[in-house]
This record gives sequence, structure tokens and C-alpha cells, in this order.
Amino acid sequence: MMRQIQLRQALREAMTEEMERDENVFLMGEEVAEYNGAYKVSEGMLAKFGPRRVFDTPISEAAFSGLGIGAATLGLRPIIEFMSWSFTLVCLDQIVNNAANIRYMSGGQFKCPVTFRGGNGIAHQLGATHSHRVESIYARIPGLIVVQPSTPYEAKGLLKASIRSDDPVIFLENEKMLNETGNVPEEEFTIPIGVANVEREGADVTVVSYGRALQRVVRPAVDALVKDHDIDVELIDLRTLRPLDKQTIIDSLKKTNRCVIVDEDYGYCGMGSGIMQQIQKPVFDYLDAPIEYVHSDEIPVPFNHYLEEAMMPSVDRIVASVREVTYR
Amino acid sequence: MPAEILMPQQSDTMTEGTVVRWLKKEGDKVSAGEIIAEIETDKATMEMEAFESGTLAHIAAPEGTKVPVGQAIGFLATKNEKVEDVKKKVAGGAKSAAPSAGGAAAPPLASSRKQEGGGGTATLTAPAAPGAGESRPRKQGAPVDTNETGGALGFKDASVGEMHEPEVVVAHGATREQIDTAPVKGEKNNGDGRIKVTPLARRIAAENGIDVAQLEGSGPGGRIVKQDVLDAVEQGVGKAGESPQKAEVRSLRPDAPAQVPVLAQRMSAGAVETIPLSKMRGVIAKRLQQSKQQIPHFYETVDIDVDDLTKLRARLNEQFAAQKIKLSLGDLVAKAIATSLEEHPALNAHFNGTEITRFGDVNLGMAVALPEGLIVPVLRGVNHMGFREIRVRSADLVERARAQKLKQDELSGATFTVSNLGMFGVREFSAIINPPEVGILAIGGAEKRAVVRNDQIVARTMMTVTLSCDHRAVDGATAAEFLGTLRKLLEEPAMMLA
Repeated sequence: MMRQIQLRQALREAMTEEMERDENVFLMGEEVAEYNGAYKVSEGMLAKFGPRRVFDTPISEAAFSGLGIGAATLGLRPIIEFMSWSFTLVCLDQIVNNAANIRYMSGGQFKCPVTFRGGNGIAHQLGATHSHRVESIYARIPGLIVVQPSTPYEAKGLLKASIRSDDPVIFLENEKMLNETGNVPEEEFTIPIGVANVEREGADVTVVSYGRALQRVVRPAVDALVKDHDIDVELIDLRTLRPLDKQTIIDSLKKTNRCVIVDEDYGYCGMGSGIMQQIQKPVFDYLDAPIEYVHSDEIPVPFNHYLEEAMMPSVDRIVASVREVTYR
Repeated sequence: MPAEILMPQQSDTMTEGTVVRWLKKEGDKVSAGEIIAEIETDKATMEMEAFESGTLAHIAAPEGTKVPVGQAIGFLATKNEKVEDVKKKVAGGAKSAAPSAGGAAAPPLASSRKQEGGGGTATLTAPAAPGAGESRPRKQGAPVDTNETGGALGFKDASVGEMHEPEVVVAHGATREQIDTAPVKGEKNNGDGRIKVTPLARRIAAENGIDVAQLEGSGPGGRIVKQDVLDAVEQGVGKAGESPQKAEVRSLRPDAPAQVPVLAQRMSAGAVETIPLSKMRGVIAKRLQQSKQQIPHFYETVDIDVDDLTKLRARLNEQFAAQKIKLSLGDLVAKAIATSLEEHPALNAHFNGTEITRFGDVNLGMAVALPEGLIVPVLRGVNHMGFREIRVRSADLVERARAQKLKQDELSGATFTVSNLGMFGVREFSAIINPPEVGILAIGGAEKRAVVRNDQIVARTMMTVTLSCDHRAVDGATAAEFLGTLRKLLEEPAMMLA
């Protein structure tokens, strides 16, 4: 049975179900317990599971991410909530050095089944220091899994799979998407990590995107391209950024011969640049146009609403790029 | 206010231009600085940039239309304007740009889109029927006006549009990138010797035995894309090994292996064909007539023993082999001409009817035959160049001339012109002066001839050159002295070092 729920509730259901399923799962982070979550994702979870499994941390990302990694290596399955992924720049050492490498450096003696989750990217007028898109920072690190859902359905299914993963997962939400509603089955389900979703099949061009960009501008752009420009777009939602589901993209490009990648990252060394690096050789002989990459402008994220809007990929930019690669 | 796209004046003498090709369709977004159309002027096909950003709302001058300078050829809907509204509003007024009687007939240069493949062995698309018989180079030395300053291209100032409409600029990722790369954009299409074809199109072509060199690309910058190859497959054209309707025009460089151009299609018996003049042909006709009517030409011919020069060339080419540089005899002659002109500035001059202007530098015009007509790219400061630089720079100019990608200032400012028909086996000829220059040198082919040396008949490699001079500015003795110096340099090439 499907029902419409908010993405916020989908996350809460995923955590609740996994905590009911496995007593080793617990939630910690800033304001997750007494305040019911800075964004009310964990609302009611303290009451349900008690202070031993849902608890507040001091404002020190380095401390509590390290705590979670340590707990994970000793057999627990922590869910660490960050108020914003921008704040994790102070705990890169814990995540990149420790979480990502412990399994390898211990020769497999330790695993690190921790899930880090929180708001990633540009939300709305949070300013330059709170608007980082960290996906390309983490997706390039071997040992990490990076996931970014674009619907409530994906949020629930991918978060459940992330919590069950024996490797550390970077789970990237976006504050502006928490209110998004969508169909989510009542029955239990998970969505496999590392598998992209061909959201719309098409013949003319492959548009590759994920997360907020997909929800905010890519889907409207695809609608416009199909309706107004008669361009048959194949739309791929990556869902997982590491490990990247290269094969789905490659198979699609062999069919459509053209590709536009859209994300809200910066272009240089951005997520889309990494994707291009992964696919360009296998698809080279199938390309009928250079791969286009629509990304945010390479400037600090402005606080001003209009400037913030202007720096991000827009429907117009995507439509123009798709028309360019399709010569239409 | 809709923004008008006006026919630019690209040279002083240009009064009208022909829209050869639109690179944008009505309804396409246009960013300031983007190439939107190709315009055939009296001398060359030029790329035209948009000076404002917006949406192309109405094309007032379709491809092939002749339009006077300053008249609108299209209209842009700028921000907040609806394309339909603009189109409705301007469509009436734009009638003035409709094809003029003769204009519609003027064929756009058939090869204007295709000549990406510069190179020494460029394959050019022969002009459509009217020009079919002209793929053979014709009489050289025909003056094309070089007395133009050029560059009056009002559209270069793209920054204006950008500054006024930042939101439009950032609204299109794709075109914004093009602006970012604008400084190198000119090079992109400047016949870098490659045929632009997407990897996919290349693969499909190979699978179907299609020779991509015979196709015209519909993509940006003439890029051949999948659809172009599929169309060719469907229409059964472009098969490798055939060249239907296409003339192979090999490099005119003397060192290039001679290849007879594919013969133009014969006309059927009794047929009569009327060929309207292309813009270029019209200008050539007018200028030649003017030069020959107004300039009192006189001619002086000398035979030059180039035996040592050809040996020197062979030795140099052995040395340059590793650098893949192959000097032509013409390169050595160009150097000698420059040195001679430095000694005889009376020949390195312009004459405007009231005064003579002499120049310290030698800007050498080099007549190049194109299927569409003669063009004279200018090698600047050739007196400062060594053989190698002359080779590299002149090859570049000639290649881009064939690709019709020369800039206006590369077609003007010559102080002396040289025309070489040696590679066609022409022994000697006389050329028509390219005003306001006062001299032009016609170079025949180097060949073994029986000559008398020390009362013996011996075989020597000889070359005959003919200097045409404007007698209003130059006298016979002056010309003879110049030829004497030139002969000395070519017969004793070591003198070029002196």
C-alpha cells in the first residue's frame, strides 16, 4: 500500500524500523533527543527508544563522529546526525582517516558500520559556510559509501540499506527537501546501494543527476524538454555516488549517444567531473556530442536569495545544454 | 526593445553582404559573443557575433540573401520580451531585407561550411553548378582590393550585452561556457587541419564505408554528427573512394604532389548556362578592370638560374626533415623578394594618385586561388623572417584562406604582391597590379633549360619572373635594378645572408 509522506517522516521511519530491528542501532547528534531534532527528523524517537539509544551530543562534530566510529568498530551501528554536512569539515580527520581506512588498515579485523547523515548542499540563504556540497569531497575516498536520495521513497529505502551496511555511509540529505512528500510503501523495503535508477526511459539524450538538483530543477527541465522541445530524455537518478553505477550510465549513453550531467556542485573537481572521468573512455565511440556538465557557478554561495538562485543550475541552463548536445 | 542584428560593415568598400548561413534558428537562445551567422563580404566569409543576449525572434534575411550594410538581418527578443510578440512586431518592417533581385541568385559559397579540413590536401566542396567549371585556379595576379582597413565589425564588443543582462548570461550553462572560452573561439573554426566529427559519427561512417571528408557537418563549427552520416547513408552519398560533385583541390604549394582536379561535369551538348556573379567574382571583376584601365602597367622579364637555389633548398629540407618542415622554392623566393625590396623601397610602396608612400617593412601579398575566386592573404613583416618562418606562416595563411577563415586584417595591408603559377607548368606570365601597390611579381615554374655558359650549352634549372610596375610611381630602370638584385640573390643564395 502506498501513502504520501514527507521525506522527513521517511527518514524517521527508516531509523525507527532499523532500531526496532537491531538493538545495536542508535542515534546521536546535536539536538536529536530533547529538542526532537533541529529539523524534527527524530521527532518522538527519544520518547520511543529512551535516552540510552537516542541522545544529544555537545557541539563538537569531531568528538561525536569519532565516538560513533569507535562504537562502530566495537560492534554497534551508530547513526550520527549532522545538523549540516558543512560542519563536517571540522571532522574530516575522523571520517576520512579513521572511518574510511580502519577496515583496510586493520586487515579486516575491524569493520565500521556507521551511518553519517544530515543536510548537504545549498538549502536557502544559509550563506557561504553553511552551503557546502560535500559529495565530491567524500565520494573520492575509497572505503566510504556516499548516498544521496531525491525522493521520500529513496530516503527511506536507502537509509535502511545504509544502516545495514558494514562500511561507513555518507548519507546526504538536504534541508529544503525534508518537506517534500512522495509515495512510500507501507510495507518494509530497502533500496540497494550502488544501483542507479533509470527514472525515465528515452532515446535522444541521457540526463544524469541526483539528490536536490534532481528534485529542484532536473525533473522540471526534463518535463519541459519532452513537452516543449520534443526531446526524448532518458533520466538517470544515481542514488549512490560511491560506488558509482557506471554500467547503467554507459548502457544508457550507448543508446542515446549524448549526455548532460547536472549537479549543484562546483564544476572543477566536482561530482560531475568525476562521473565524466569514469565514463568517457567506455562511451567515447558512442558519443555524438561532448558530454555537458551543468553545475553551480564557482563562487562562494551568496546569502542573497536571487544571487543564490542565479549561481545554481536552472531549468533554462539544463534545457539549453540538452538542446546543445542534441543539436536541436 | 527588440535588438536589431544589423549587416556589419566589415571593410571600407563593403556596401552589402550576403547571409551565407544562420547558425541559430528562430527561437534559439543567443548569448552576446556567440557566433550567430556567417556573412559573405566582398572578400571573405566572416563569422558574425551577437552583440547582445536574447532569443532570436525573427530572421529577416534568410540564407542566400544580399542585404545592404546597416540593414537588419534579424531581431533578438531581449529579456522580458516574448518571441512571438517581437516576431509579429518586426516581421512587417523586415521585408526591406528581402532578397534583392539579383541577390537571391547569388549562390552562397557552397564550401563555406565545410572547409574545416584545411590541410595540404584539403577536400573542398565544389561550388554548385554555376561555379563547377571554376575549381581550377585561374589567372593569377588578379588584384583584389587590399586598400581596406577592415575590422569595422561593430559586433565584437560583446561585453556591453553581457553587462546589461547578467541574468540572461547565467541562465544558460552551455552558452555561458562559450563566452568563457571566447578568446580562443576564433581558432576553433580556423581550419586547424581537422575534420570535426563526433566519435559516434566517425564509427557509423566507418561501418558504412562513408568518407566523412565528403560530408557537411550540421553541428557547431561544422561538426559532423550522427544524423549527418545517417542522412548520407540514406541518400547513398559520400561513399569512400568516390567524390560525387566534389572536386579535390590539392595544395597549390609547389612541393605538393601535383594532382589534377577532378574534372568539372561536362555540359551537355547545346546547353547554355548563365552564371550570376558571386560577391567575390564581382569584386574581382571590378578591381581588375579598374587596375588595368587606370594603371599604366609596364613589364620586365628576367630569366634566373636557380640551380644553386634548388640545391640549397634540398639541403635545407634534409636538415628540416625532422621538424617536418618542407620549404618550397616559393619560400626562398619570398625571402629574396623581401630582401630586394628592402634595397629598393621604390617598389615596396603605395601610390594614391597624389603621393607615394614607402614602407620599411615588407608585407607580402600572396595570391591564392580558391574555387570561388582569387584571394590575397598578406604575410606581414616577411623581411624579418627566415625561411622556416616564411614556410610555416604562409602555409597557415594559405590553409585558412582555403577554409575561408582569414580575418579581415590578414587580407589587407600588402605592400607588394607575388603570384606564382610555376606549379602548373606555366613558364611565364604577367600579372595585374593590386592597387594601391606599385608592383607585382609573376613567378613561372623552375625547369631545366638549355642555356649557354662559357660558350657551352648546358642544362641549368631556370626560372622566369615578370615584374609588373605602375609607371606613374616607378620607372623602368628602377624596376630593372630591383630585378637585378633579386636575380643576384637567387643565383647566389648565400647573398641572402649578407
